Amino acid sequence: MTRLSRRAALKVAAASAVATLAAPAILHAQVKTVKITTWGGKWGDIMKASVLPAFEKEFKCTVSADQAFPFLPKLQASSKSDPLYDVLHTNSNEQWMAVNEGLVMPKFTPKEVPNIADVYPYAVSDKIVGVSIFTSAIGLGYRTDKGLTPPKSWKDLADRKLDGARGGYLIPVNSLGQAHLMMLGKLYGKGMQDLDAAYKALEQLKPIKMVDFTGQMEKMLLAGEVSMGIIHDSGVLRYEGQNQPVDFAIPSEGVMALEQVLAVTPGSKVKELALAYVDFMLRPDIQKQLSEGVWYSPSNKKVKLDAKYDARLFNTEEKVAKLIQPDWNWYNARKDDIDAKVARLLKG
Amino acid sequence: MAQSGRPPASIRIDGVTKTFDGQVKAVDDVTLDIEAGEFFSLLGPSGCGKTTTLRLIAGFETADAGRIVVGGQDITDLPVHKRDMGMVFQSYALFPHRTVAENVAFGLRMRGLPKAEIAERVAAALKQVALDGYEARRPSQLSGGQQQRVALARAIVIRPAVLLCDEPLGALDRKLRQSMQFELKQLQKELGVTLVFVTHDQEEALAMSDRIAVMNAGKVEQVGAPSEIYDRPRTRFVADFIGEINLFEGAWSGGRFVTGKDRTLPAVTNGARSGTGIIAVRPEKTRLVGEIDGALGGRIETANFLGGQVLYRVVTDEGRAVLAKEQNVGTSSRKVGDRVGVAWMPSDAVSLEA
Amino acid sequence: MSARRLDAGRVAYYTLNGAILTFLLLPLAIVAVFALNPTPYISFPPVGVTLRWFEKFFANEDFMRSLWLSLRVAAMVLVLSTVLGAMCALALARGRLPGAGILTAFFMSPLMLPAILTGLALFQVLLLSGVGRPVWGLVMGHTLVAVPYVLRTTLAVLANFDTRVEEAASSLGASPVRVFFEVTLPLIRPGVIAGGIFAFIVSFDQFPISLFLVLPKGETLPVVLFNYMKFDLDGAIAAASMVSIVMALSVVLLLERVIGLKAYVKL
Repeated sequence: MTRLSRRAALKVAAASAVATLAAPAILHAQVKTVKITTWGGKWGDIMKASVLPAFEKEFKCTVSADQAFPFLPKLQASSKSDPLYDVLHTNSNEQWMAVNEGLVMPKFTPKEVPNIADVYPYAVSDKIVGVSIFTSAIGLGYRTDKGLTPPKSWKDLADRKLDGARGGYLIPVNSLGQAHLMMLGKLYGKGMQDLDAAYKALEQLKPIKMVDFTGQMEKMLLAGEVSMGIIHDSGVLRYEGQNQPVDFAIPSEGVMALEQVLAVTPGSKVKELALAYVDFMLRPDIQKQLSEGVWYSPSNKKVKLDAKYDARLFNTEEKVAKLIQPDWNWYNARKDDIDAKVARLLKG
Repeated sequence: MAQSGRPPASIRIDGVTKTFDGQVKAVDDVTLDIEAGEFFSLLGPSGCGKTTTLRLIAGFETADAGRIVVGGQDITDLPVHKRDMGMVFQSYALFPHRTVAENVAFGLRMRGLPKAEIAERVAAALKQVALDGYEARRPSQLSGGQQQRVALARAIVIRPAVLLCDEPLGALDRKLRQSMQFELKQLQKELGVTLVFVTHDQEEALAMSDRIAVMNAGKVEQVGAPSEIYDRPRTRFVADFIGEINLFEGAWSGGRFVTGKDRTLPAVTNGARSGTGIIAVRPEKTRLVGEIDGALGGRIETANFLGGQVLYRVVTDEGRAVLAKEQNVGTSSRKVGDRVGVAWMPSDAVSLEA
Repeated sequence: MSARRLDAGRVAYYTLNGAILTFLLLPLAIVAVFALNPTPYISFPPVGVTLRWFEKFFANEDFMRSLWLSLRVAAMVLVLSTVLGAMCALALARGRLPGAGILTAFFMSPLMLPAILTGLALFQVLLLSGVGRPVWGLVMGHTLVAVPYVLRTTLAVLANFDTRVEEAASSLGASPVRVFFEVTLPLIRPGVIAGGIFAFIVSFDQFPISLFLVLPKGETLPVVLFNYMKFDLDGAIAAASMVSIVMALSVVLLLERVIGLKAYVKL
């Protein structure tokens, strides 16, 4: 009897093996495919549910969207003449690494992407590779139920009252932590590139709870494990209306921009579609939909947001003036030294 | 109740050589004739080539040279599984994942016999080794002696023409070993099978065998019945290996065997003999006498009481130690330090090949 | 006096075992609490009990697709790595191959390399050879790191294997093929199966190698979970972990029932 059931088990295993091996044989018709990277979470849900289907329908193509990190190493490993992605969507710091390796094209012309005529200047500034389609603002998230006065300055994070309830990031792996380090140089030293002043200021923030994902910072704020922490506005604003005792503050010194950047790979075999996709993402209707979905500030000046979003997001000339764009090209060149220095600094 | 359905086979090993790693000659030009139905032992110290010879017969090793003929058929190039021989290992080599009955049935199953016949023969074989009732046990649930019986039953149930045993009793304690020796001998007679038995234990070989081949360094030193091997060793190695013995080196001259300072020892000669030689005398063939002519004079150094016998160690006037064994008849008054003479019948002194 | 010493030893023994057990099981307990707690973050003490995270997990198309893929891949890896691993082990232990030691080290080497490098290397090979990233590539990658487990456990059994048992079988009339199936295979089976279970779990939990080898919409569960975590760190992750643990455990138990893990050879 054991013998029979064993045979049955083997049969099942063999059958599933055959089934899975046969699965990839999906027929690729003449339809072109544009390969992109994109975020997961709520953003990914909206993309999959409506944005990408709309694009596919309009341009009669299919979109293969990779949501699985890490994008850059995968792109690096693939051939430049036949890249794994046509459009790379990632944060600004990674785009700088990509462009320096020749993996993406540095700029778009209005002819290639007509909608960039309507974007705020920061979205195509010299701090940006390709085009920034959205931005978040890195500022301070805080608990409203701990008797704290809402922070007005970045320096408020150093308040000794916050010892044990202060949140930051592992600088080597998180770009918010890196941006904050540059901000410290500006606050306490000669400017964003004054690393010595930044290191000294960072030491003053000890003890500080360090995480690697912004999602973890959100949860720590919600759970009350930290009372104040560095976070992007969208990570706090998304809880608006859910009765959570958290809020986001814009320090007087300004906020750091956390841009969502699109760039096209030079070896793309479907460059027209790739450019069309970038242009599509800048359309006011798409911008509005995603912006209100995940609390990202749109790049397109023509987007009209609903009042609730209009009140908080960076969507006027006046408001975008508060955005400080880090020089990632400068930072990336020093990243290894900074990582080593920071690791020593925070050890004790 | 002979169970064997087939006549026993003779074995002829003809000039067989086996070399390992291209250097060591484990078996060196060995020729043996084993008669059908014989209990034949391969005896020798470890490394003498006895096990390799057995494994050559079984087919686990292939000979570099020579032929092996069993029952008139040349099997030198026949694979193991077609040789139809039973094999019993020192480590028993039972199938640990099978029951006793399944172990014994294995060879019959390989032969594709009908289930009913297998069951019948397994039951009979287990009965033969007094293990009926143990069918459903696993080998790990049996004692060493019981495991060896299973191994035996497994080997004989296929009614082999030849049964090969590689130190089968080596792992058993002394008492069990003696009763198993007897049982194995009984079984061999009942089955009438040709049995080749490898052992390093001379007592075991002497007690069980019809004939013994004493091996040393890959070669056969002597083949013969136990009494022949014991009483008439042909070489110094055989004499030394089997039991206790007194060896005297000397020279043949004028029909006498002379040793040391012109001392003649009792030995049978044919007069024509000359040159150096060795004679050997078993302790039990010597007698302690008074200091008479022709006896080796000396002093008793030790006396070991063995129960039925007393073993004396006598140091002769030439300074040589001689062992002498006397029956304990209850009248002996010899003690350590006594002067005695050691003598033996000339016919009890064996002349060895140098 | 000796009785008192024994008691003290006993107390120390149980305390140490208790501590080790707690150390091993505490993370699981925390995951369980997180999975059943209604808040989207870890709160202690838990504010209630809910199955909403399990509902969210099972209702999520991405999770379900990836769970199913992970199970299928792990099943194939189980089959492939046991066959390959057992054959390699037999060849290495029995084949009298020149340089068997070096070969063993070679087959074990995927364990020494950081898996992320293995994944990256495979990814490049697949892309450069133009085959893309088919599921069999993923299976191959997992098999590569799973085979050493089967190899190790099988070699361990073979090291204690009395080859006379096989000789006995052949002297009883079993041809080499029958010796293999009747004796060798049943005796090395506990080692092969133990290795196979490792292989299944190694594949089911595999993250670094999968990271590069999965396709969009063809991700395995650990990859989906990792990416989910970057955006939505909530109880669904904990629920997914609980489900994975239960799945892995049931596969182990199932294999144990069906094929039998009980080692009848003393190892």
